Amino acid sequence: MSITNKLTVKRAEIIIAVFLALCSAALMYKSAQNRITWNTEDNMGAGFLPFYLSLGMLICTVLTIIKFILKKSPQSKDDSPFIDAEAFKYVFVTAGSLIVLVFAIGFLGIYFSLVFFLAFYLRYFSDKSKLFISIFSIITPVLTFLFFEWLLKIPLPQGISEPLFYPVYDFMY
Amino acid sequence: MEMDVFHLLLDGIFTAFQPLNLGLLIFGCLVGLFVGAMPGLGSVNGVAILIPITFIVPPTAAIIFLAAVYYGAMYGGAISSVMLGIPGASTAVATVFDGRPLAVKGEAMTALTAAAVGSFVGGTVSVVLFTLFAPPLAEVALRFNAPETFALMVMAFATFVGLGGDDIPKTIFSILIGLVLSTIGLDLITGKPRLIFFGLPGFLHGINFLVLAIGIYGIGEMLWTLEETKGKVQMSKLSVNMAEMFKALRALKKTFMAMNIGSFLGFFVGILPAAGATPASLMAYGITKQLSKNSQDFGQGVPAGVVAPECANNSASTGSMLPMLTLGIPGSPTTAILLGGMILWGLTPGPLLFTQEPEFVWGLIGSLYIANFFTLILNIALIPAFLMVLRIPFAILAPVIFVLCVTGGYAPTQSIHDVWLMLLFGFFGYILRKLDYPVAPAVLSIVLGPLAENALRQSLILSDGSMGIFFDFSLKPIAAVIMYIAIVLILMPAFGPIYRKIFKKTS
Repeated sequence: MSITNKLTVKRAEIIIAVFLALCSAALMYKSAQNRITWNTEDNMGAGFLPFYLSLGMLICTVLTIIKFILKKSPQSKDDSPFIDAEAFKYVFVTAGSLIVLVFAIGFLGIYFSLVFFLAFYLRYFSDKSKLFISIFSIITPVLTFLFFEWLLKIPLPQGISEPLFYPVYDFMY
Repeated sequence: MEMDVFHLLLDGIFTAFQPLNLGLLIFGCLVGLFVGAMPGLGSVNGVAILIPITFIVPPTAAIIFLAAVYYGAMYGGAISSVMLGIPGASTAVATVFDGRPLAVKGEAMTALTAAAVGSFVGGTVSVVLFTLFAPPLAEVALRFNAPETFALMVMAFATFVGLGGDDIPKTIFSILIGLVLSTIGLDLITGKPRLIFFGLPGFLHGINFLVLAIGIYGIGEMLWTLEETKGKVQMSKLSVNMAEMFKALRALKKTFMAMNIGSFLGFFVGILPAAGATPASLMAYGITKQLSKNSQDFGQGVPAGVVAPECANNSASTGSMLPMLTLGIPGSPTTAILLGGMILWGLTPGPLLFTQEPEFVWGLIGSLYIANFFTLILNIALIPAFLMVLRIPFAILAPVIFVLCVTGGYAPTQSIHDVWLMLLFGFFGYILRKLDYPVAPAVLSIVLGPLAENALRQSLILSDGSMGIFFDFSLKPIAAVIMYIAIVLILMPAFGPIYRKIFKKTS
């Protein structure tokens, strides 16, 4: 049995509800590092609002868990897969390639990372020719560069590729 | 007073006609039509992804551009509803009910014309209503202080609980997580850092609402669409010629009632923060069907079934701007992002805009009149072009949107930390949405959170720390009325089962 069949909507509902409950408790703990009291003399402590809002989140997730146990929510009775195998491939590969892209931005810089990301994505999911993919993967970062660096004057991260752009900047300014 | 409004409106129309504004308006309409037509993208995605690129122009031009995107998307949503049977955005879901059967019968042109004309009528009626209602409402709102402002924000959150129709604990969770995220960073009153996870300095400047909005509506929505469509869609055949169009226009004679219901209902539903264009269009469809003499034909392909939701979604989009401009409370997720945009552009949303930034407010109102006209023309003239666009494989469109998301997530703060957060919100938004957690309340509350906290703290300073200031009719009557309405809204879902039980017993 594959992972996509094992993870039913029912299981996902309870896993996420418990996870969110833990996150809410962690937020309460973190908020309590500031003063969480409120009195008329010196108003609210910095942690007051986040603490009680997180407490509210915790109560909501506990209610979701109770509804699940009592089988009162549609998800608690749903044994269908949370995601089917084909869709999982799309979502998993997309999410994975986005994570690699953001890692690569910090190292290679955004423009070169985008070239690799686009080339990989189009090669994997589309049936376009290698020529189309190559042109598309180069033109999109070039347009992005012109838009941000030339038009908006917002420098995007360039990582180790920064020296390669010096001649372009010399030409532009 | 009426003359004043008329003059201000004329000034606004002149502002909208300035070359930069007009150019951006037409471009915005085009982008909006495109965004609306593409499955998986709607006004909220378009506006969220495009806000970072508006920093280059003055605020008036920026809001005109984004409002035109919003507007155009309402028109464009119908194109994919009719041609692909997939709503371009949730606001065009009801358009599929009769739009798709018309297309399957070979009458796609009738459906598209009905959608365009319906959108135009809904848009025009709502803009007139907007012009009439906005100035007096802003005048009343000018008298609001911190307690009234806070009460209004509580009411905005309460509408999601009372009228949103989603699971109540999940809705409240969504509101609260948005508010908690908005508290991250330095506390403005005490100067202390709050919720700085793992000591990362990136959290010190707080979480920009765009990071959450682009994450949820850009990354999350794309993952959702990839899962739903897997890049496979089936397009209907369409013959575009003038004779077909005139035939379609003649068929619209019988849709007068649908136009009225859609336009007026849409406007007033659009004003409510939890409602917006999607429920407005579904309600307009349902009521038109119930009141129609030929209700049995609905769902088989009748033009009235396309006109009603299309009138309503355009009308609601304008309606949702009314509380945004006059009260500083957004009427829809898209206007929540626009409101956040105003703060980024250095403006203070709310009634003061009418006195301090008349060019901005009236330029926007004037632009809505013009955008309505241009979008109708562009929509009909460019139908063949949009059909070509719809043939672009999703596998090509999706990475382009991801590029826009990553650059858009980085640009406002120029921090890679925010890009990571955006990815995280996108993945979580996708998973939570699959489990029926509503995501719109989180976006609304991250925008309103800092404003609400300020208003709450100022109110408590006024009252020496007493919460009574929000509930005492003798102190702040308007705040008290709004607060009690909010409480009723929050309690409303609890009354539903009790009412049904009583009704069952008596019947």
